[in-house]
Amino acid sequence: MTQGPATDNPVGYISHHLQPLQAGSGFWQFNIDTIFFSALLALIVMVISYRVGKSIQAGAPSGTQNVLETLIEFVNGLVKEAFPKPNKIVGPLGLTIFIWVFLMNAMDLIPVDLLPKAADLMGIHYLKVVPTTDPHTTFAMSLMIFALCIYYNIKIKGGLGYMKSFLVHPFGIWLAPINFILTMVEELAKPLSLALRLFGNMFTGELVFLLIALLPWYLIPIPGSLWAIFHILVITLQAFIFMVLTIMYISLASEESH
Amino acid sequence: MNVTATLFGQMITFVIFVWFIKAYLWEPLTKAMEDRTNKIAEGLAAAEKGQQKILEANEEYTLKIDEAKSKANNIISEAEQKSKSIIEDARLSAKEEALKIAKSSTQQLEQEINAARESLKKDIAELSIICAEKVISKEIDKKVHDNIIDEVINK
Repeated sequence: MTQGPATDNPVGYISHHLQPLQAGSGFWQFNIDTIFFSALLALIVMVISYRVGKSIQAGAPSGTQNVLETLIEFVNGLVKEAFPKPNKIVGPLGLTIFIWVFLMNAMDLIPVDLLPKAADLMGIHYLKVVPTTDPHTTFAMSLMIFALCIYYNIKIKGGLGYMKSFLVHPFGIWLAPINFILTMVEELAKPLSLALRLFGNMFTGELVFLLIALLPWYLIPIPGSLWAIFHILVITLQAFIFMVLTIMYISLASEESH
Repeated sequence: MNVTATLFGQMITFVIFVWFIKAYLWEPLTKAMEDRTNKIAEGLAAAEKGQQKILEANEEYTLKIDEAKSKANNIISEAEQKSKSIIEDARLSAKEEALKIAKSSTQQLEQEINAARESLKKDIAELSIICAEKVISKEIDKKVHDNIIDEVINK
């Protein structure tokens, strides 16, 4: 595939970059790049954590273990603030989300043309390297969290109690239909906003990188580096927000009935 | 976005990832951290205990030292008293002894004086007899003789 300078056809350049590497169609549509990069990052983290977990130094930790302990301490602090009772799953869940989302977002900082170009040379013509710019990834996480919320709601409040919370909250039993609609919207807005916030932030971030890449080469460094520096903040913040909201939603779900 | 296999693939990846992190990183590491916290707490408590013990030992030590000091003082004063009494006794017995010795020596002296006197008397008598014999052998002068005898007798 031969390409002229990107500036010749900006719309084509951008839409080319936003086109995932796909296989199959309809339900069996695989976004291979999304799956590949997210799984690759997950695998790297798993290998590192497996190694650290196998050779834990109880007395005086060092290196990677220190970093991971700091992260765990940080996540555990948030969890303990939100949960009155200890919860076994939410700590590792929050940690995994933070690390994974952060790393997937961080793929954004690799120059936009580097990996697609390399893939192009190997005969792969489409590549989206940031898995979180694919709504499949963000929705996959938020829907799992949503499922976990429902699980905890039913576990803590019981099936009937959960139903009741839809009917009596927030206006009391006499306005049950309105309550039902409101609570339904409230509950459904949680996973939707969770997924779309991350997706939107990363997608627009990527878009701005692409627009900067369209500038003449001598203009690229200043806005490019500024946006990248700003983006370091954004990717960390988005990962953090995703984790905190996850913890909050699950803690709300596992509260006793209001 | 459509519901596609990608979505489910990502879900599966997510679940596996969370499970893996929970099983192989979170649980062992939090356990290790808890153990460490406990160990540190135990160590601090032990240190505190040790400090307490040192304080107690110090107190006991000063107490014992004080006790020993007062005991030593007691012993010293007792010894002083004893020595005083011993000296006093010695002085008394020495005085008695001296008195005894003085008495016995005066008695002896008196005896010796008496003996000397006796022997002197004897000597004088013998002497006078010798004198008398001499005088008698030289000249028997009745008158003189008589005079002398008279004199002796008068004496």
